[in-house]
Amino acid sequence: MKCEEFEAIGLERSGVRMSELDAALRDAAAQHAARCPGCAALQDSWQEARMALQGLREMTRDAETPQRVEMRLRQEFGIRHRTAKARSAAIFAAWALAAAAVLLASVNWWNWRLAQTQHSGVSASAGNNVIRNSVVPASPATDTVDEATLVANNAVGDFTLLPGSLPQEVDDSAIVRVGMQRGALSALGLPVNEERVSDWIQVDLLVGQDGLPKAVRLPQSQ
Amino acid sequence: MSIPEQDRDDVLLWRAAKGDDESFTLLYRRHQAALYRFALRMTGNAWAAEEVVQDVFMTLMREPKKYDAGRGAVGAYLFGIARNRVMKHLERLPRELSMEARNGNGVRAGDTAVNAFTPVHWAEQQERSERVRAAVLELPAEFREAVVLCELEELSYEEAARLSGCPIGTIRSRLHRGRALLMAKLEILRDVPRRVSAATQRSAL
Repeated sequence: MKCEEFEAIGLERSGVRMSELDAALRDAAAQHAARCPGCAALQDSWQEARMALQGLREMTRDAETPQRVEMRLRQEFGIRHRTAKARSAAIFAAWALAAAAVLLASVNWWNWRLAQTQHSGVSASAGNNVIRNSVVPASPATDTVDEATLVANNAVGDFTLLPGSLPQEVDDSAIVRVGMQRGALSALGLPVNEERVSDWIQVDLLVGQDGLPKAVRLPQSQ
Repeated sequence: MSIPEQDRDDVLLWRAAKGDDESFTLLYRRHQAALYRFALRMTGNAWAAEEVVQDVFMTLMREPKKYDAGRGAVGAYLFGIARNRVMKHLERLPRELSMEARNGNGVRAGDTAVNAFTPVHWAEQQERSERVRAAVLELPAEFREAVVLCELEELSYEEAARLSGCPIGTIRSRLHRGRALLMAKLEILRDVPRRVSAATQRSAL
């Protein structure tokens, strides 16, 4: 072993890392130290330094961070995570509030729609009652017709608007079934077959609030 | 003996990141002493060491997701942060030697009770320790780190190299030069071969 090699490993003579070296190297280092006074002196010097270092190590062996550091860190940790939790809660509350607002608006809109539909239904139903009470005596042909045929269908879908009537005028109208000669339809502005003008027919009239017919339809039986 | 799953460092860190105060405290208590000793031995200043430890755990608190389990243990990660802080401190105050630094209790940094057979013996031991401490603190940072890790912390070359982020050969070389410088500073170099003295002078430059 040369002196340079000894310097690299020989100083570990009593160190914990000496065990990391293999036995042959350890023996070679020991033999070199026995032969070379310079390396032996270096090794002794290092042992002295090592002992001094050991004293320093022992002095600082039990050193620990002062308790105040832990206190500061825990305080900071608490503040940081409380803030984060508060922020999360605020975000969650904001989203919940927004969702509730949307839900409320949807429910209101749905209710409004439902009310509108029911209102139309009630109007139509009211018109139906009017027919039951007032239309039957007005028809000269009703004496011979089955009563069931006199009950008008309250569906307003298949009415034909009379000339001069507007669609929005039929919203609050009543349905009235009347008997008339076919030729009278021409007075309402409807085309009539000339050969059958004297036939008696039943028609449903949609009568507006002003008492004027707004639309007409022929019942299914016609 | 293996550590239970719930007490593993990475699990504690994960729980601390979720806001678990107890996990953070446990993690702190587990690692603070080693980090503090390293910082104290490197800086020789109790206040600086305290600041380093606080910085390390503040970093962990702020950015827990920076820890990558694939790159090593939590302890090594914390040590890496501490090492960076120490090096920054040494760069900022390259000549600072606060040997008289005292901690909050008025006791010299890191001092613990020592065996003192007689007052004379105790005084000699104190003086010797002061000389060693001063000599270690006068070493250039990279040599000091090698001496602190290998001689004071008693880590293996492999562990020291991993913590320092350099090859084992570099640690060996730094330790060799650090020892030579230390012996020169302690004036205990007797009949040292010329090559070591030359290495010492080169290192001192």
